[in-house]
Amino acid sequence: MPVQALVGHRSFLTLLFGTLLVLPAVANQYTLFVGNLMLLYIILALGLNILVGFAGQLAFANAAIYGIGAYGTALLQVHLGWSFWAAAPVGAVLAMVIGTLLAFPALRLSGIFLALATLAFAQATQWVLWHWQSVTFGAGGFRTPSPNFSWFAIKQDYGIYFVSWVVTVALFLFTWRIMRSRIGRAFVAMRDGEIAAQSLGIDLLAYKAMAFALSSFYAGVAGALYSGLLGYMSPEGFDLFQMIIQKAMIVVGGLGSVVGSVLGAALLVYIMEFMREFKSTQEIVFGVLLVGFMVFQPNGLVVFMKRWLPGWEEPMHLAEPPQAMSKSDVAEDTTAGDKAVVERT
Amino acid sequence: MLMFSYLMATGITTGAFYALVALGIVIVYKATEVVNLAHGELFMVGGMLAYTCYVMEGLPYVPSLLLAVAGAFLVGILTERVAYRSVLKHGLASVLVATIGVSFILKGIARYIWGGKGDYLSFPPLVSPEPLQFGNIMIMAQQLVVLLAAVVVMAGLALFFKRTRAGKWMQATASNPKAALLCGLRIDRIYMYTFAVGAAVAGAAGVLMAPLTLLYPDVGFVLFIKGLAAAVLGGITSVPGAVVGGLLLGVIEQLAAGYVHSSIQDVVPFLVIMFALTFLPTGLFGVRGLRKI
Repeated sequence: MPVQALVGHRSFLTLLFGTLLVLPAVANQYTLFVGNLMLLYIILALGLNILVGFAGQLAFANAAIYGIGAYGTALLQVHLGWSFWAAAPVGAVLAMVIGTLLAFPALRLSGIFLALATLAFAQATQWVLWHWQSVTFGAGGFRTPSPNFSWFAIKQDYGIYFVSWVVTVALFLFTWRIMRSRIGRAFVAMRDGEIAAQSLGIDLLAYKAMAFALSSFYAGVAGALYSGLLGYMSPEGFDLFQMIIQKAMIVVGGLGSVVGSVLGAALLVYIMEFMREFKSTQEIVFGVLLVGFMVFQPNGLVVFMKRWLPGWEEPMHLAEPPQAMSKSDVAEDTTAGDKAVVERT
Repeated sequence: MLMFSYLMATGITTGAFYALVALGIVIVYKATEVVNLAHGELFMVGGMLAYTCYVMEGLPYVPSLLLAVAGAFLVGILTERVAYRSVLKHGLASVLVATIGVSFILKGIARYIWGGKGDYLSFPPLVSPEPLQFGNIMIMAQQLVVLLAAVVVMAGLALFFKRTRAGKWMQATASNPKAALLCGLRIDRIYMYTFAVGAAVAGAAGVLMAPLTLLYPDVGFVLFIKGLAAAVLGGITSVPGAVVGGLLLGVIEQLAAGYVHSSIQDVVPFLVIMFALTFLPTGLFGVRGLRKI
């Protein structure tokens, strides 16, 4: 391997996951919590990027699915007395099943109408969490039992952290492989042109369902871990702002980039922790990050990484748009207009 | 029967709110094919500006209303100019994401200026708070004001689109941007004014409804969802459709609350959006085949 390839995504990932692995040895309780949060958000961002960045389905339901995973895991423990180890997989699968059902409206709707339908779904989920009080305990939230690690030769505090680490690294490697496989290529083809993809023999229903299933499985896993981490559950953590945080992570990191999801999630959790006390500042900063990246660099930080670091390779990442050609922009707009006219007549 | 007529009356008056919010969404969608997710926040900003002028500074009502509408108009221009215009070339979905980013920026700024911790600012009603009696039905006078205002705004918009050059420019741009460009229309600028007019309608709605909804930084999103449901039900491209959709949504909500359970009321708009988008994509008034889904 040439020396310059050492400065690239591999060393970044090794450094990040290595640091997170040895964190329990040096960090205090709070830093460990932030590290754990970082791991969960990496899972969430990977899942959301599969759906939005690779498969091109603009959905706003990820925070709600995350909530379903978390509530599912916690409520199975509270109401049915299951152990965390039994409840967590069931919670994650429950989230995956509900998330997969969203693929059916996605077949009929695209672009902003899919976004609106999933937004409505997310708000309806919020409503259920708030109002179905006999099951979800409503707005006040409830305490969740902490997972039992007695079988594992490790201190109780570190248990959920190491489980999160292992799961995150496993899901990262899984994403990395699968996005370079036939499935990942099919997603990208679908994103870049549904009709073209279909004519190449890609079954849109199957692949859309797969994209929704994968992304909601990730969200469900993150939710299950979150319920084990926090020991307390309330509906506020799964609202629209949560969605914005996740969306900002993948936009900042890079849409359609596996390593970008990791980068964006790690960076934004770090930023978020600086402003934990001030909701208004958080809202402004995340809004500005989202809009700023959409305006100035819609392909995210990964573009700079690819440009500056010789060993940074992301073959499936969106190509950089041609530099500032306002004439062609107009042409693009107008061809879109033409298409609309053709479809209307 | 009394309960039914009461529910209908309340439904129609609350439906008028939703119609007013839906109108702004429809105007922006018609011209740009983008749903402005920051619409609710523009509504909130309008209400907050009016609160500052009317309650804190003690200005008379009409100048406060005008200032708030003008303020919302300016915010509309600013957001389009700063955020949406440069994102438009990456596609409509990117603009949608940008609008939701803007909505959080506005919300954060409002929380910073007018926020506080869970404070609800109450806006004094324009007319006497005594309910009016019609037969057996009681209606808040302010609700009638909103109903009237919705009618006035709708009529004004209809005139604007039919009679003024600016209105016709917007319609031309909406139906075919290329042809509009070839006719010498500056479509960038028309998009900007469209967002601004939508924002001004939102601001006006915010001022009129402030006495009924109370003002807090998160007020916008709840009403946005209801307005969106009304707009989608009406076919999202139709101004009369928005009004009918709003009234219908108000009535459905009240009937659901009255005959099923009161907490169902809040979930109706989400169900309406999901149902209408999936099974009735052209809405009640939309032209079949017009929308690219």
